[in-house]
Amino acid sequence: MFNVKDREFVIPGQLIGDNVYCTENCFSAENKVHSSIQGMVRVMGTRGKIIPISGAYTPKRDDVVIGLVVEVLECGWLVDINSPYMSVMMGEEATKNVMEEDLSKYYNVGDKISVKVIRVNEVYNFDLIRPRKLNEGFIINVNPKRIPRVVGKRRSMLEILRKKTGCNIVVGQNGRIWIKSDKPDNAELAVKAIKKIEREAQTSGLTNRIESMLDDERRK
Amino acid sequence: MKLIVDGKRLDGRKFDELRDIKMEVNVLDRTVGSAYVQWGNNKVLAGVHGPREFHPKFLRDPTKAILTCTYNMAAFSVEDRKRPGPDRRSVEISKVISDALSSVAVLEKYPNTGIDVFVEVLQADAGTRCVAIVAASLALANSGVPMKDLVSACASGKIDGEIVVDLMKEEDNYGECDLPIAVSPRKGDVLLLQMDGHLSRDEYNKAYDMAVDGAKKVYDMQKKTLMDSMTNYVEGEGK
Repeated sequence: MFNVKDREFVIPGQLIGDNVYCTENCFSAENKVHSSIQGMVRVMGTRGKIIPISGAYTPKRDDVVIGLVVEVLECGWLVDINSPYMSVMMGEEATKNVMEEDLSKYYNVGDKISVKVIRVNEVYNFDLIRPRKLNEGFIINVNPKRIPRVVGKRRSMLEILRKKTGCNIVVGQNGRIWIKSDKPDNAELAVKAIKKIEREAQTSGLTNRIESMLDDERRK
Repeated sequence: MKLIVDGKRLDGRKFDELRDIKMEVNVLDRTVGSAYVQWGNNKVLAGVHGPREFHPKFLRDPTKAILTCTYNMAAFSVEDRKRPGPDRRSVEISKVISDALSSVAVLEKYPNTGIDVFVEVLQADAGTRCVAIVAASLALANSGVPMKDLVSACASGKIDGEIVVDLMKEEDNYGECDLPIAVSPRKGDVLLLQMDGHLSRDEYNKAYDMAVDGAKKVYDMQKKTLMDSMTNYVEGEGK
């Protein structure tokens, strides 16, 4: 049974419960389950998990991330995805004649791309496919553990952000968010709302609060 | 020099009393985790970078991350200017802190990477290696690296024939023994144990127990610091 309540904060090493089933971010020692990070415990019936406050992004299969091209190589591009792990995106993603062409004409150093992660193995070697160049706009960095809250259940939060600010927004699972708008005021409003979501991610009723905050700002 | 006057220590503390301790996390913007600890007159800042790519590549470990701690004393941290740069003592303390933290951090989660913990002593007043471990452990927890437990530390020693806990500068310089320890509070595992001086078997047992008690009090403070930082963060007052 659980030693902690739902939505309680825990620190590394804290006892979560005896003989319980806990999925993420915990370890077990002699039938007792302990937290391995600082975060918030969610208890759902007989299962529990711990939502981390902070941590580095580790690539996961099928994640869409926003990468920055760091280097143009003979066979592809070296892409930084805000993670301790980097990968090479193969030239085949842009053209069939990889060796004959100068790949920098497709993606050059400093280009922002949204790309999908596939085939992640135990030492975090992974491949990147289906790149899309993100022209203009700018990128903000957000705690990667807060991204699920920025997207929301069934993308509810993201839809509100897009509709109420009128910006193009692409959310990367690696903590990078690309925003583009013709009106700089709208872009600034989007950044303000995202930073508020990042700060208050673990509170409830956040979607409604963000919606009313955006309505108030637009009326001004 | 007499270190015990009228049954009390030079700063008025009882034999089992710790100095005033203040702790805070999330104090630096450029690191992923950070902590500041003020322990008596000690002022120590810890910052964590990583996990990040480990260089040189041929030394990286495909089964786990490599945690390195660098302990450094600022030139102005002591009364006579300390020559900047690592000296043999700093290298030793860096190693023992790296070992202590590596045993609690779940390094298997980030293979092929390096986690760098930097500890800067801004003002030193005896017991800096214990303060450094406490700060480093808080910074590591703050950064989100998974850990099996926090690390708490405390020193005890012998002055004027009496066993006391948490030596200050004069007691460390003129006392008979200094015994810093670091423990993993949940299981009681000893992660650091060093001794500098002379103790009999019984004295050692007493000093060890006093140091472990001191470490437990420090652990309660570390726990409160982390809990408070999480509540502040959610209610919008944090970074």
